[in-house]
Amino acid sequence: MITLQAALTGALIGGLYALMAAGMSVTWGVLRVINLAHFGLILLGGYLTYQLATSWRLDPILTLVVTVPALFVLGGALQWAYDRLRIVEFNSLLVSFGLLIITIQLASDVWSADFRRMSPADNRYATGSLNLGRIAVPTATLVAFVAAVLLVGGGHLLLHRTFTGRGMRAFAQDRTVAAAFGIDHRRLGVLLGGAAGASGAVAGMIFALGNSITPSTPYDWFGTVFAVVILGGIGNLLGTLVAGIGIGVLSGLVSVIWSPSTEPFVLFLAIILALLLRPRGLFARAGVA
Amino acid sequence: MNARRGVAVLVAVTVVFGVLGRASNAIGLPAYDVLLAGTILFWMTQATSWNLLSGFAGYFSFGQGAYIAVGAYTTAVYFGRHGGNVFLAIPIGGLLGGILAAAVGAVAFRLRSLRGEIFALLTLAVPFILAAYARITNWVDGGQGTTIRLPRVPAWMGSFQQMVFLLNLGLAALAVGVALVVYHTRLGHGLAAIHDAEAAAEVLGVPTFRYKMVAIVLGGVLSGLSGAVFALQIGFVAVESLFTLTLPLTAIVISVLGGRRHWLGPVIGALLIVTLQDRLSAGGLENWSAIILGGLLAALVVLAPHGLFGRLRARWWLALAVLVVVTAGMTASGYYDQIDALLYGMLAAVVVATIADTLRPRKPAAVSRPPDGPLEATPLEAVVPQPRSAGTATEPGVLVSCDGVTRYFGGVKALDDVSFTVGHSEIVGLVGPNGSGKTTLVNLLSGAMQPTRGRIAISGQPIAGLPAHRVAHAGVARTYQLPKPFASMTVRDNVAMAVMFGRTPAPLHAARQAAERHLATVRLSHLADALPDALNLHQRQLLEMARATAADPTVLLLDEALAGLNPAEIDDAVTVIRRIHATGISIIIVEHLLRVLNQLATRIVVLDRGTLIADGDPMTVLNDPAVVRAYLGRQRA
Repeated sequence: MITLQAALTGALIGGLYALMAAGMSVTWGVLRVINLAHFGLILLGGYLTYQLATSWRLDPILTLVVTVPALFVLGGALQWAYDRLRIVEFNSLLVSFGLLIITIQLASDVWSADFRRMSPADNRYATGSLNLGRIAVPTATLVAFVAAVLLVGGGHLLLHRTFTGRGMRAFAQDRTVAAAFGIDHRRLGVLLGGAAGASGAVAGMIFALGNSITPSTPYDWFGTVFAVVILGGIGNLLGTLVAGIGIGVLSGLVSVIWSPSTEPFVLFLAIILALLLRPRGLFARAGVA
Repeated sequence: MNARRGVAVLVAVTVVFGVLGRASNAIGLPAYDVLLAGTILFWMTQATSWNLLSGFAGYFSFGQGAYIAVGAYTTAVYFGRHGGNVFLAIPIGGLLGGILAAAVGAVAFRLRSLRGEIFALLTLAVPFILAAYARITNWVDGGQGTTIRLPRVPAWMGSFQQMVFLLNLGLAALAVGVALVVYHTRLGHGLAAIHDAEAAAEVLGVPTFRYKMVAIVLGGVLSGLSGAVFALQIGFVAVESLFTLTLPLTAIVISVLGGRRHWLGPVIGALLIVTLQDRLSAGGLENWSAIILGGLLAALVVLAPHGLFGRLRARWWLALAVLVVVTAGMTASGYYDQIDALLYGMLAAVVVATIADTLRPRKPAAVSRPPDGPLEATPLEAVVPQPRSAGTATEPGVLVSCDGVTRYFGGVKALDDVSFTVGHSEIVGLVGPNGSGKTTLVNLLSGAMQPTRGRIAISGQPIAGLPAHRVAHAGVARTYQLPKPFASMTVRDNVAMAVMFGRTPAPLHAARQAAERHLATVRLSHLADALPDALNLHQRQLLEMARATAADPTVLLLDEALAGLNPAEIDDAVTVIRRIHATGISIIIVEHLLRVLNQLATRIVVLDRGTLIADGDPMTVLNDPAVVRAYLGRQRA
């Protein structure tokens, strides 16, 4: 039963990993920008949620009304700048690394290096849980999972079913040809960067629901989120969702069956094996690619 | 500066600073200055060790903090907790840093599809995993941290501060010395080639995997050594202070600012950045330090990706003069602190040198015109490289043999049971419609890919499982359809690389001389000093050929070397190919233009959807109904 509980909790937390990874995966796959600053946007999302819920007494979920547009603008502006400065794939990693450090330092200046957590009075999702027989699911985790599945799944549908989404995928495959067919990559890029930023706002809000935040929190996300992006296949949202849940289950199980101390190693081993055996992600179709 | 003189200067500078540091009390140097100098030297070591792989070979690592931490924890555990000898902890730290680097490299560089981005992200994850381990493992850290008490200082090293300074000085000298030697030897040239075009470097004979491993392990050892000293310096070793992103960020910014392709880059960068950081914290702006570093990195990557070294070198006397005048003037004025004066002096030197370098009237690259007259006017004997050794030239038999070669990509059969041979002094045309497997065959023959089934032998030697550089040493050279020159090197050095790493290796200056001969063969001598960027497609293809022949092959694979050329250029290239052939090299040429093959090839091999459908002399093959069908489709009655 403990195992089942661990697997379920892991799967639900995996949804959050997937949501964090989704924004990175899609800008990497489609726009060829590896945006480490995305972690900074998620951090900002988390802190803004905390701030709004604490000082304005807003329901944490309602803070999205403010944070989503704010981070949409920020994400779009970032992408606009990357594009204007012609920052290509590899350099984007360096530039956004610098931006991430700046964000973390600014967050530390504004909110200090202490742990920040919404008080139970402001956060009515913090304490409740849903009981299914003998398995208990914390409300915050459930909210996280549902939101992640809806957003990542919705993003996948948007990319595959709408005209704009198809344009983006065409652009990902061959920019020159896509441009020749009248796809305006600037506008699409800003739109996509904005969407990634908005997803970061949601991810940050969800993280803040169930956890304390410090400026160095993004460091804890790196390994897992990177693993989810690679395993899911860069730019593949459905793959990202599956990989996130899979990794969540794996780390949940490992920490129960062995001990929590082995978790990072198993995770890292999983990434490396996956990179060795399926370098294009678990769900890539076999072939020359 | 050659390597020997460089090392001599380095030793002299080290001794001078060593004596100054040891005698700092006697000559009245403030203790603060000694401390700052030690910090500068620490970062010099770190940035230089980072630069060995990440600068020279271009594989950016975000994992520098991991090696520092391994070294620091060695001191913390061995000296701090168990009371071991501190001078033994330092080499152990270096050893462990090297082992970690070897582990990272052995995994990362075996990935088939490793690109720079993936390597960077992989190294980003390493410190966080180690941090998680250290936090929960009691014999390492256990979340408590370890206080490092003051070690007993040998009398000859003076005070504790002086000892830390001397250790940092020694390690910095070691690191810079290693970088200097690497820079000037085959390893450094090989790493530069990997930086510019790794696949091309490998098929020219550069052992890329081994070189990258050597670079990453050297870096890991140096970094671990210096990390062990760092633990003494900070006095308290804890997860939070070691596994931060500021450590790798600082190493990266120092190298990027200084210039990462030269061993002096990190030295210059460390002087500037660490002094700047020190002044910021002295001015109470410590919180701004990370912001400034991060902003500097972003700005540098966009504005000055090559760093300061190149600009300073072009005007080094001017920069030095400004540095001395400004620093001395400000110090003499008495209003400024010495370190402030030094910082302003360095900033002024950088600004003046940069402006001077930007204002310098740039001559267009000295490109003389090619010699006039038809190509035939140059007597063949004059440009043909040395006659092939008689043994190889007259040896009868088979150079290349493919026996039942099959290659799948997933479920797709790219080549199916292909068998053919190439003998001495043949020019074999390899033709077939798009997707018939020609380029796959070239990749298999050059060792870039392995066949799923079947045998390939070069001069009787099976090449199964050999890395591409060993296949190159067996006598195969190739060109790429899309030329892959080493962008940072002149045309001459591009060819010299192939000589250096080819079948008859030579040191650089001899290789450069040999390169002239190969450039004359393809008539590119007039462009020897140009950078590949200045060449047009035709010239780049000729450069590919010169580079390939310079590796001294017995078989040359030309992959669509004529694609995209105009008729005059094609005639020119055909003449060059004939010349190369005349030196005794057998040629396999992939080509669509049957007219060209008709006059050039001694034999034609035809592939269609992965199978070999014809093999024989050009006239017979081109009139073969099966070949006509493959190209034109079946004729309806």
